[in-house]
Amino acid sequence: MHTNDNDKLKEPNEVHDEIDEVTKIKYFGGDHEYDGIKELDNPLPPWLKYLFYVTIIISISYLILLFVFKDESIIQVKEYRKEVMAARDKTEVAVKEEAVKMAAAPMTQEQILAAGKIIYDKTCLVCHGKFGEGLVGPNFTDEYWIHGGKPEDLLKVINEGVLEKGMISYKSQLNKTQINNVIEYILSLQGTNPPNQKAPQGVKN
Amino acid sequence: MELQQFSYDNRMTRNFAIATIVWGVVGLLAGLLISLQIFIPGLNFGLDFTTFGRTRPVHTNAVIFAFIGNAIFTAIYYSLQRLLKTRMYSDLLSKIHFWGWQSIIVAAAVTLLAGFTTGKEYAELEWPIDIAITIVWVIFGWNMFGTILQRRTSHIYVSIWFYIATWVTVAVLHIVNSMAIPVSFLKSYTLYAGVQDALVQWWYGHNAVAFFLTTPFLGMMYYFVPKISGRPVYSYKLSIVHFWSLIFLYIWAGPHHLLYSSLPDWLQALGTTFSVMLLAPSWGGMINGLLTLRGAWDKVRRDPILKMFVVGITAYGMSTFEGPLLSFKTVNAISHFTDWTIGHVHIGALGWNGLLTFGMIYWLIPRLYNTKLYSTKLANVHFWIATLAIVFYAVPLYIGGITQALMWKQFTPDGFLMYPNFLETVAQLIPMYMIRAFGGFLYVVGFLILVFNVVKTIQAGSFVAEEEAQAPALETLPNEKTQSESGHRFLERKPIRFLILATIAILIGGIIEVIPTYLIKSNIPTITSVKPYTPLELQGRDIYVKEGCYTCHSQMIRPFRSETERYGEYSKAGESVYDHPFQFGSKRTGPDLAREGVKTGKIYKPNSWHYNHFINPQKMNEASIMPGYPWLAVKEIDIQSTPGKIRAMKVLGVPYPDNYELEAIEDLKAQADSIAKDLLTAGIQTDSNREIIALIAYIQRLGVDISTKSTNK
Repeated sequence: MHTNDNDKLKEPNEVHDEIDEVTKIKYFGGDHEYDGIKELDNPLPPWLKYLFYVTIIISISYLILLFVFKDESIIQVKEYRKEVMAARDKTEVAVKEEAVKMAAAPMTQEQILAAGKIIYDKTCLVCHGKFGEGLVGPNFTDEYWIHGGKPEDLLKVINEGVLEKGMISYKSQLNKTQINNVIEYILSLQGTNPPNQKAPQGVKN
Repeated sequence: MELQQFSYDNRMTRNFAIATIVWGVVGLLAGLLISLQIFIPGLNFGLDFTTFGRTRPVHTNAVIFAFIGNAIFTAIYYSLQRLLKTRMYSDLLSKIHFWGWQSIIVAAAVTLLAGFTTGKEYAELEWPIDIAITIVWVIFGWNMFGTILQRRTSHIYVSIWFYIATWVTVAVLHIVNSMAIPVSFLKSYTLYAGVQDALVQWWYGHNAVAFFLTTPFLGMMYYFVPKISGRPVYSYKLSIVHFWSLIFLYIWAGPHHLLYSSLPDWLQALGTTFSVMLLAPSWGGMINGLLTLRGAWDKVRRDPILKMFVVGITAYGMSTFEGPLLSFKTVNAISHFTDWTIGHVHIGALGWNGLLTFGMIYWLIPRLYNTKLYSTKLANVHFWIATLAIVFYAVPLYIGGITQALMWKQFTPDGFLMYPNFLETVAQLIPMYMIRAFGGFLYVVGFLILVFNVVKTIQAGSFVAEEEAQAPALETLPNEKTQSESGHRFLERKPIRFLILATIAILIGGIIEVIPTYLIKSNIPTITSVKPYTPLELQGRDIYVKEGCYTCHSQMIRPFRSETERYGEYSKAGESVYDHPFQFGSKRTGPDLAREGVKTGKIYKPNSWHYNHFINPQKMNEASIMPGYPWLAVKEIDIQSTPGKIRAMKVLGVPYPDNYELEAIEDLKAQADSIAKDLLTAGIQTDSNREIIALIAYIQRLGVDISTKSTNK
């Protein structure tokens, strides 16, 4: 369809007008052309020119802020420290409020187990298996414990980890309520007898 | 004046066009495959050469250098001859260029799948291929400048300005970034380390986008848009301003790929500001393209080829608006490491590069074969499918990228991460990945329609190998600038001077950014506790690079509370001084690994966990999308290569003790034995000479140095 309609443009010797018929704009350089392509003598669109100036002004201001004024909001390490400090203040308030709320309305055992399961599935499952059957980490469903099976034993392991065996400390990743809930959940797995259990490790409770 | 008779060489244009189509099919299918692999781990087939870490570089290299590369050469070989009224300088050079480039592509595909890689994105090819690329590129330049110098037109048109800038900049980028010390025939270590390597790499990477995907396509646009529409270029003055500002500013923008990394603040600031300043010059190109169509919009409505150009140029405008936006640190803090970047890139790739290439092919093939396009209707169908495909491709990635970034950053009121398990944030993306793959599938379908249309067109026509032409010989022009001509007009008839000025324009930014990181020590503060890798860790690191782990995992913890809470202390420049190449990564399909080995850290896992996880990640967590690497437990470490690797590292300035290469194998075996022994206590029996042992050693080293003592000196 468009094989031949431009071919007349290819004729180098054709006499061209100095003005484009459609836009009434002057051609640049009279009738010169490249393989039939001509160029119009339009100026730069003003809005584009001003956009360019604005971006240059913004950029230079930004660089002056950094190089001359050493503005702290641009220096990332300082930005980071500020973020951490601000968060610390905010969480302290939130933790106190949460404690008050918890004391007013304690969770039922069912709610505790449900909340514990959510934590377990996010955090513990990767090493201890979907049903607590044990994978890289030990089995939670049998009666054998390496570091003790009392709630306070579990609390110690979760808080401090067993680093030489690859159990990390979760103190900074889970809050106290979450840790208590997950301990309750883990202890509730006793005797559930899931498939693919890891062989017993440690001593019988 | 006497008219000279000559003919245009259509053979090379045709060859490059066919190569564009063939590699287009390969590259797009590779893209479709990896878009499925990313959410269906089974599609990695458990084989090393079909796994994402290797197929992803095949996709990127195939579409950039094979598909788009050949499209560029098609455009240049066609338009250069006609714009200069002369035949290509040498048929022999054309032939060497064509076959040389195709051989490089084949070599690239084979070596990348076999795991030979430098681990630097879009520059993965190993040193012998890099040398071949340099030679072929020089031959291409020789042929192009030979043609320019024997021209029958007094001045060179704006397309050719862009071709010249493309040629010289790609040459500089490729040579500087590929500098490496060979260890063996297909293994080398890059000359640069850590932050410096990252800076050089992204100076290269960003400007590969600028000078391989942008400037040659602007040249293409300046030829084909007026040619196809029959309309004059909107503004000659705009061409001049946006050409020079674009090539000068672009080269500075690379550091915007390293915002909030351990790159010094002043370099990041240059990356941000020069990206912002690029907006108007980029839009200058879009405007000159679109406004050229003034008075031809009725034609655009009827002609699918012009429609492709219009949507392609608009996509260029969109992605060059988005680019500066993503360079603001506040926006980048969200977009970086997520799929947002992938979406952004594909607006440019599928829209600008893809649609312009399709338009060019539909216009060119009938002319080369002296016939009409087999079906304009099918071309129209292709246009709509491709446009729809871009929407289906990009929108889910924008949604997914932003969602994931916000989940990474979400804290509970009492100060804990809302989603401490990285996998939770991945699960959100699966539906998005499905829609994206559908978009990719549509794009492939559209391309196959093109293939059919082209084959039918070729069958109907007869190839015009030599196209007769005539033009008067070039009259000798005064060597000095005449009074009536402007400075730039004068430059347009002095191509060598033009080349020199363009070279100066593109060198300034790179020199100012890269050199100070070598000369001024404060840019990369030393950390005394950071030590070279042990021989086993070094071998493991090479496996990490070989398997393309960096395509999904970063090693760069940004100074955000959400990242230091998740991963540990943020990354410092002094930590990566022995990393040849750097492995910061650019995408987090999986979590960051910079602190993976820190026992007291937040993400530590025991050796046995890593062993099981490498072999079958879904065994550890069934929702994981990581592919398995079972062959790592079968393949043996290439122990004999160790002394050579240590020697190469010493040449690069890594402070191993004197004659350490002689003890390296012994040390390697001792460390491997201790890991194997540890695995045995967890009930895993394995020989200590397996690749998996080396990789575990490397993973367990990550972040360890700085955790023992982080004294900045």
